[in-house]
Amino acid sequence: MKSQYKKWGALLLAITLLSALLISGCSTKGKGGGDVELKLGFYSSAQSDEKMQELIAKFQEKHPNIKIKTESSPYNQFFQKLDTQIAAESAPDVWLSDGVLVPKYAERGVLKDLTEWIQRDLKADDYYGLEFNKDAAGKYWGVPQGIQIAVLYYNKDMFDEAQIEYPTEAWNWDDLKAAAEKLTKDANGKYAIDPSFDKNKISQYGLTFFSITEGWMTVLKSYGGGVLNETLDQSIIDSPENKAALDWIVDGMQRELLPTPSDLKSFQSNMAPFPSKAAAMRIGIYARTIDANAAGLNYDVTLLPKGPEGKRFSPVIANSWVINKKAEGAVGEAAWEWVKFWATEDEVQKEWASLGEAVPVKKSVANSEQFLSGSPANKQAFLDSFEFAGTLDVNAVWSEWVGKFNDSINRAFEGEVSVEQAMKQADQEVQKVLDEFYKK
Amino acid sequence: MEETEKVRTGVQPLTPRIRRRRLNSDSKWGLLMVTPYIIHFIVFVLGSLLASLYFSFSHYDILNAPQWAGLANYKKLFQEPVFWKAMWNTVYFTILFVPLQTVLALILATALNQRLRGLKFFRLAHFVPVISSWTVILYVSDAIFNPRFGMANSFLLKIGLEPQKWLQDERLVIPLLVMIAVWKGIGYIMVIFLAGLQNVPSDVYEAAEIDGAGVFRKFMHITVPLISGTTFLVLILSTISTFQAFEQIYVMTGGALDASSAGGPNKSSLVLMIYLYQEGFTFLRMGYASAIAWVLFVILFILTALQVTLQKKWVHYE
Repeated sequence: MKSQYKKWGALLLAITLLSALLISGCSTKGKGGGDVELKLGFYSSAQSDEKMQELIAKFQEKHPNIKIKTESSPYNQFFQKLDTQIAAESAPDVWLSDGVLVPKYAERGVLKDLTEWIQRDLKADDYYGLEFNKDAAGKYWGVPQGIQIAVLYYNKDMFDEAQIEYPTEAWNWDDLKAAAEKLTKDANGKYAIDPSFDKNKISQYGLTFFSITEGWMTVLKSYGGGVLNETLDQSIIDSPENKAALDWIVDGMQRELLPTPSDLKSFQSNMAPFPSKAAAMRIGIYARTIDANAAGLNYDVTLLPKGPEGKRFSPVIANSWVINKKAEGAVGEAAWEWVKFWATEDEVQKEWASLGEAVPVKKSVANSEQFLSGSPANKQAFLDSFEFAGTLDVNAVWSEWVGKFNDSINRAFEGEVSVEQAMKQADQEVQKVLDEFYKK
Repeated sequence: MEETEKVRTGVQPLTPRIRRRRLNSDSKWGLLMVTPYIIHFIVFVLGSLLASLYFSFSHYDILNAPQWAGLANYKKLFQEPVFWKAMWNTVYFTILFVPLQTVLALILATALNQRLRGLKFFRLAHFVPVISSWTVILYVSDAIFNPRFGMANSFLLKIGLEPQKWLQDERLVIPLLVMIAVWKGIGYIMVIFLAGLQNVPSDVYEAAEIDGAGVFRKFMHITVPLISGTTFLVLILSTISTFQAFEQIYVMTGGALDASSAGGPNKSSLVLMIYLYQEGFTFLRMGYASAIAWVLFVILFILTALQVTLQKKWVHYE
């Protein structure tokens, strides 16, 4: 009996090993002489994928010795897969990273430090936002592929209907609120300044904003507050400046001049109120021009309002090419060729800009007629905003502290707790997240 | 030897020699047939299980190699208020969901077990939500519970009541999710009950009728005890499935918009599986997430063992 089981056991083991061998055997690649195979990863939509393939073809013409293997999927799947690919050492050699995710990978030691290459090959003055991927120690971890920067969007038709002046660059947040009052309308067509205004039946909000990028961070920072200190490892939430900024927001939400987070849930998407004509103004990044144009809105953009001390702030996300730390030697060089090709070639920049998804990284292209023409009329506002632009206090645990901040602050936005209480709670929760990562 | 063989096969051997030969040939075939599964189990299940057990004792951010951490993850887990909140939400969900779905599905199955016109249509109608994806259900429920445009609020306004925030309301979110889950899942459980009901011999009912039993008494004294085996299966299946509930809560309370905010207002619908997903895949704490998974496993194991023990008291086998 026993020997029988042994035999079966041995057979089983043999089959297991054999299949393991087969699986691993299939994935071994043959290495051709001289040629380099570069694994390029990017997230894309149907529209941008086509353009990317065109640009890859152009790159291959110039670099016949580099064979590019692409790996692309829609945004969410791409980043879901990426972590496990890194763990299995099958991640792309160079990939397109959402700007807010660069420190997540950089601080966990997955990315190649690009400082030397950037200093050798790129003239910093030629570009917008190289510095947005620089860490506190001055190291560069990526080269921007396209820039998202926020401005104030406004629907001209709604301003005309309410018979008020369009926003100007001189506005502060109180000017904005005064206008929002005249633009918030209920189902009976009454504006918020009217005594018979019914705030339970809003048909049009004066302003809409959502979460951090296109929401509270701008208000906080232009009031002189913010979330993290300069080294991005301490919370500075509990401050009088933030209190003033949050009071401004909560007051607006309580009066229904702008939707609360739960009001926003009644739209199919947090980004929907402005393009679906349910809001007269919004804080929006450059990519939002696509929706607004597609909806055929009569709109324009201008600089975001100033804070009480005259300070402005425009949040920036620099989506960037990053290189895998494991890409060494010829593969690493090839990866850098790709990044350089993207950053330095005017033609590439122009082609990509024609999609209308992002502000071109290269100043010469961004300031060209090709970029500045079209809708909205005042595209110059996006470029002017670089003067007071900043990142979203992005660090290795960004998405986690943003989640904690939202959890606490949203309760104040909904009117469930006071601003002070929400700030204290947010401060503690965010600090806990920071400590766990940075104080190991 | 003799004794263990008896237990294993459950068959009384004819004579020892014949038994041995037949058994060997049977077990050979048996083993051969299950070999693909065993290989699959060893490579893809056992391996992952052991790995996750190891990870649960380490700090592991997926991107870098795991570092041994002893009991740190488990210690942190039990001190973390969010874990206990997620635990309570999960238990609350299960306490509401399992009895409600079981009782309603049984009543429905009994009703659809009659010989009536158009029966197939009704059976089918109840099964449609089962095969629909949660995303579809999300749109249907949004049409009802959307705070601005939904039917539920326009109804409340019509009869002069205050509109509600529904899925954005801390108190309402879990009962609502349970209601929607029952609506979606009831068809599946109903089919299991239908199969059970078909096995109840009709002569028992006839005998009861002769004795003058009414519909209710027949149901309580014949149907319920005679399908208790099926009920037992249903209870175990639905308890396990609610503890593992993920997709519905993820898409209906925020995850579809932003992974880090899944779990409803003030974490009121954050169940263990969502907590596990966020910690592991969004915040890169795979070690901690593995610890959650093992705690979840232990809970389910205990619950199932408890149900199996208690079944002796109420499950009737013929």
